[in-house]
This record gives sequence, structure tokens and C-alpha cells, in this order.
Amino acid sequence: MDLLTVSVTARESAGEAYTLVEIVGEADVTNTDDLRRLLEAEVSQQPRTMIVDLSGLRFMDSSALHALLRVNRSMDRQGGVLALVSPQPAVAKILRLTTADRLIPVFDSVAEAAAG
Amino acid sequence: MAADAETARRKTAAEALARPPVPQAAGDGSAYPPAPPVPSPAAAHDPMSYTYTTDLAAIRAVVHRYAIKAGLSEARAIDLVLAVSEVAANTVRHAKSPGSLQIWYDTKEIVCQIQDEGTITDPLAGHRRPSLRASGGHGLWIVNEVCDRVEIASDQTGTTIRLHMDLHRF
Repeated sequence: MDLLTVSVTARESAGEAYTLVEIVGEADVTNTDDLRRLLEAEVSQQPRTMIVDLSGLRFMDSSALHALLRVNRSMDRQGGVLALVSPQPAVAKILRLTTADRLIPVFDSVAEAAAG
Repeated sequence: MAADAETARRKTAAEALARPPVPQAAGDGSAYPPAPPVPSPAAAHDPMSYTYTTDLAAIRAVVHRYAIKAGLSEARAIDLVLAVSEVAANTVRHAKSPGSLQIWYDTKEIVCQIQDEGTITDPLAGHRRPSLRASGGHGLWIVNEVCDRVEIASDQTGTTIRLHMDLHRF
């Protein structure tokens, strides 16, 4: 996964625990399986809130988007919430074009997302 | 004489690529007319050719550099990069061999042409907005959304997709 690095930390905001996932690099069909596996491993921990920081993600294609949409459905099913933070222009574009940004809330900062 | 033959060949290729907005399925099971070998226009500035296997990040960097050089705005360069990456992703998914990317531009437009040995069998590929619950199928739809013009030619031997972006649109 040279093109993409994913780091996960457990955080807390006003007594509420959340999982922060930072995705850095470029996400496309060549690394979607890795991305999906990593995200699903976190989902299986059943966090109430998962915040994905996209500020370091320079590019996302439709296969990576599907991975996020799938995570969103899983979080939904288990009563949790997925939120996205600070997409760069190229990533914001695909979120907007596909209207994924109407399905998954997008925030300007991790603090805002954590505050809900 | 040679120039005439070249012109005629180009015309045939251009005609083969011209298709109605919603293509009809061909009898041989492929969705599009046969893909001809297409030379880049001689008048184009700085044409380039690139063969790729899975190095999509490199493809995106090249397309972005050319898009800016040709005069596209940053936002439209981002669109073209997304479109080329989606098409090349299909090569990675479906084709068993490398794909090739050619880029050329003149004063009016920049064109990215992607060729691979895959075959598009769905004549409506890219013309329907997929559900967000679908597990795939957004690629060609996105391509049609962000590009000013998309030409597709596909048969059993391969697929040629040309993406056009006007330089005087913002």
C-alpha cells in the first residue's frame, strides 16, 4: 500500500468515544481491497462514531467511494454514524457528483464532526 | 498521395468513432462499433503516449500536467484526471493486458484516448445513474458526467475511449 496509508486512533470528545481514521495518499481500484479491509476491521469494533479524515487524501475513484458507502451502510445497520472530514477538491468532486455527500455527512474539521 | 491516404484513414476512424448517444448492441455481442487504430491529429501540440498496467497514480499525474499545460482550469483538470482514472481502472479490473493512454491538444480542446483489450458488452454502460447502493458501475457514468464529449468504440479485440475537454469552457 505505497500509494495509501491509513492510520486509526481512538479519541474522545466531551466524554464520547469515537474512532478517527486518517486516509493519506491516493485511493483507487489498485488499493481498494486493502482500504476496505482496514475500514471493515474498524467497523467490526462497533464504534458509535467513525470519523474519516480525508484532508490528506489527494484522489479517490469510484471503487474507493464504494468502499466508503459500504462502511456507511454497515455503520448504519449497527446504529453507528460515519462522518467525513475535509475532502480535497478532487475527492469533494466525486462525493458531490455521486451525491454521496448527501448520504454521508461531511464536516470541515474533526472537532466539528466529533461534536456531531 | 500518402497524405490523401492518411486523411482517408483518419476520416474512417473518426466515422467509426462517431456514434449515436445511446448505442445499439451489435450482433457479435459487443456494444459498440469496432475500434479502429486512431492516429493523433498531426496538428496537435505535444502529443504523448503512455502504456500502463496498474500505475494509475502515474497516469493521473501525467494527465493533470497536460491538462494544465493545455489551458484547462484546475477544476476541469481534476475532472479530466478523474475520468481518465476511471477508464484506466476498468483496464485494471477487466483487461488481461496493459492499456495505453494518448494525450493531445490543440487550441480548442484536449483529448485523452485510452485503449485496452477489454470489451464493453453493455450498450447502456455509463448512460444510467447508478444507485449509491450498487456495488459498482459508477465509473463510466462519472466519465460521461465530467467530460464535454465521450467517444467509445469497442469490439472483441478491444476498446478505445476518447475523452474530450473544451479549452474555452469553465
